[in-house]
Amino acid sequence: MKRRTALLMAGTIMATWPMLGRPSRAQDSRIDWASELGKHDGATLRILMVQDPWVSGFEQLNPTFEQITGAKVTIDAFSYDQTHEKEVLEGTSQSSQYDIIVLDSPWVGEFWSGEFVEDLKPYIEKTRPEVIAWDDFVPAFQTVAEWEGTVVGVPFGAYFMMMHYRKDLFEQAGLQPPKTIDDYKAAAKHFTNNPDFPGMYGTALNNARGSAIGQSFFEWIYNFGGKPFANTVPGNEDPYGDMTPQFDKPEAKQVFEFFKEMLQYQPPGAESIDWEQRAATFTTGKTAMITAWSVRTPGFHDPSQSQIADKVGTSVFPHVEGIDGVPPLGGWVMGINAHSEQKDLAWDYIKWFTSKEVHKQFVLLGGPPSRLSAIEDPEVREKMPWVETIAETQKHVYAECRPRIPESFEIIDTVGLQFSRALQNQVTVDEALTELQTSIADLMVKGGYTVQQ
Amino acid sequence: MVSRTTKLLFIGPGVAYLAIIGLFPFFYSLYLSTTSLNLTRPRRSQFVGIDNYVQLVTDPLFQKAILNTAILAMGSIALEIVIGFLIAKIFYEIAHLRTVDWLRTLFILPMMVTPVITGLMFTYILNPTLGVANVLLRMVGLPESGWFGSVDVALLSVIMVNVWQWTPFLMLIMLAGLMAVPRELYEASALDGAHWYQQSWHIELPALRDVLLVGAIIRLIDNLRFFDVVYIATRGGPGDATEVISMFAYRQSFQFFNMGYGSAAAVLILFITLFVTTLAMRYLRRVEHG
Repeated sequence: MKRRTALLMAGTIMATWPMLGRPSRAQDSRIDWASELGKHDGATLRILMVQDPWVSGFEQLNPTFEQITGAKVTIDAFSYDQTHEKEVLEGTSQSSQYDIIVLDSPWVGEFWSGEFVEDLKPYIEKTRPEVIAWDDFVPAFQTVAEWEGTVVGVPFGAYFMMMHYRKDLFEQAGLQPPKTIDDYKAAAKHFTNNPDFPGMYGTALNNARGSAIGQSFFEWIYNFGGKPFANTVPGNEDPYGDMTPQFDKPEAKQVFEFFKEMLQYQPPGAESIDWEQRAATFTTGKTAMITAWSVRTPGFHDPSQSQIADKVGTSVFPHVEGIDGVPPLGGWVMGINAHSEQKDLAWDYIKWFTSKEVHKQFVLLGGPPSRLSAIEDPEVREKMPWVETIAETQKHVYAECRPRIPESFEIIDTVGLQFSRALQNQVTVDEALTELQTSIADLMVKGGYTVQQ
Repeated sequence: MVSRTTKLLFIGPGVAYLAIIGLFPFFYSLYLSTTSLNLTRPRRSQFVGIDNYVQLVTDPLFQKAILNTAILAMGSIALEIVIGFLIAKIFYEIAHLRTVDWLRTLFILPMMVTPVITGLMFTYILNPTLGVANVLLRMVGLPESGWFGSVDVALLSVIMVNVWQWTPFLMLIMLAGLMAVPRELYEASALDGAHWYQQSWHIELPALRDVLLVGAIIRLIDNLRFFDVVYIATRGGPGDATEVISMFAYRQSFQFFNMGYGSAAAVLILFITLFVTTLAMRYLRRVEHG
């Protein structure tokens, strides 16, 4: 965003703050930020985060915090893998360079066991409940932020994976948005190599080796009726109590074969595309539908970023017939660097930024809705009609859909390697799954988890 | 006569410098490679002896990484020598032209591009759907390619990028070698009725052998630590098609933070590099001494 535009928007937000920030419930209007937040004149708060589409939302809101507290806020944002690498290296070197670190849900266990982040429970306890409004966060995302009885970060960026489809094309074809995986396959087939839809492909999946396809496995396995580990299933009180991998089960094979089958309905070169590239196939009008994290949804509807902005519809992530689907849940929480020398300032920022009223502003600027109040807010609903799909999706999500243990990154990458090899016919599906069953079990044993031999 | 103390004073700073930047990191890596240290679980670190090395040599991905690195190094160097020689010969023949300095500067530009930028640039150029490479192939009626995304041509694509960037280096070395060939040899061979290809084979190539070997050894070391383009463009994929040893060590050390296993990989890579370059240097010395 151009600096002038950002300043203009920041000015507008500050000028209209009392009006825009008026919360829907009476008790919230009592938050007097000037007295709630300390004065931090001359201090600089540094935040380390991922370069996702909502960074500009932070940049537009921060001048308000700076005006209230006198502190300056700077943001350093990196790509996904680089963010993980930098945050771990900052943590292991016990650096105090950053005060707030923004972490992805699968890193929660890793960052806690590495002692990189503060336990925020004491901070929450000393803060007025109406400021934090913890129960207002999407319930599954509350769980994501917690680890071993502690709170590792405060939620602000919940991602829900949804189906995004071209309303115009589906209407022309007389099809409904896919509810089941069979519907999804049939629709993908219908739009590919169809003279009625020249140059169009059915869909694009996250096929690139590494985190992209590795995460895909965890996103789809529950929606095929399976699970990645013995206990990681919705409703289980001890999800990591038995970490026997389930790659030898039929559902895992179905996920692998589904990805192979779907290749024929994707654009050339789809074998190596990831989040960005497959989103580009949709926004440039080359694919009829894609599943994507809700963080991308505002961009799909933005004419400056999307050629199909006025033609996008959303629906709940598909699943096989006859089961309760588990739409993928991901997203980001804000933690305090355990070695920060400005923890009070960091906490002031976190409680301000994640509060109901600021969160609503963040959502209106394109941030991912993570609070029930924002999801239900009429103004948000009017401006962002797709939030209705989020409201439905959030009822069915599962906090542990991607494991949150310290070994998560390695698990996902290992799955990503074998999944990619099978997709590229370097090995058969059975060979890849057998290899995964052994290697992930070894990794779990090495990590001290219970694995049934 | 210089005293022993004076000698030590002169040598001391050099030795200390080498110890700090070379020996200490090496011995520390050697120590780490005998532990199970993971940076995100530092308290669980244990002494594991040579377990990491045993696991490494039996790790199929590491074996594939060694194979890919060998193919990358041999393929790239061979192509760079052939193409580099042909271009050096052209520059040699047109050395009298005024514009030759400009042309030479233009030709060596790829060498000056940061490898990360090279990786990004080719990621766009070789994008199967939106990239210009497939558009050009379509225009001339050739089948499109998946480039970095296709398991069959991904490593070839990486070699192609490597050759594009580093052929100018070997070309420059060979051009300097050609310039040093006495003109009398050409004149004498021409009088004897030698064709250009006979001159190339019997005069130029023997004259270039020494400089070419030095250039090839430098490129061999470069290829053994080849990383940036793979990191940016393929991440070792699709599957394990472009996994190279430096990417393997990086992933273990800085993505999984398995410092013990990653250090073992780094130490093993160092010994492989030492072994290969020692062999090459010995061969070079033997050639130099006839």
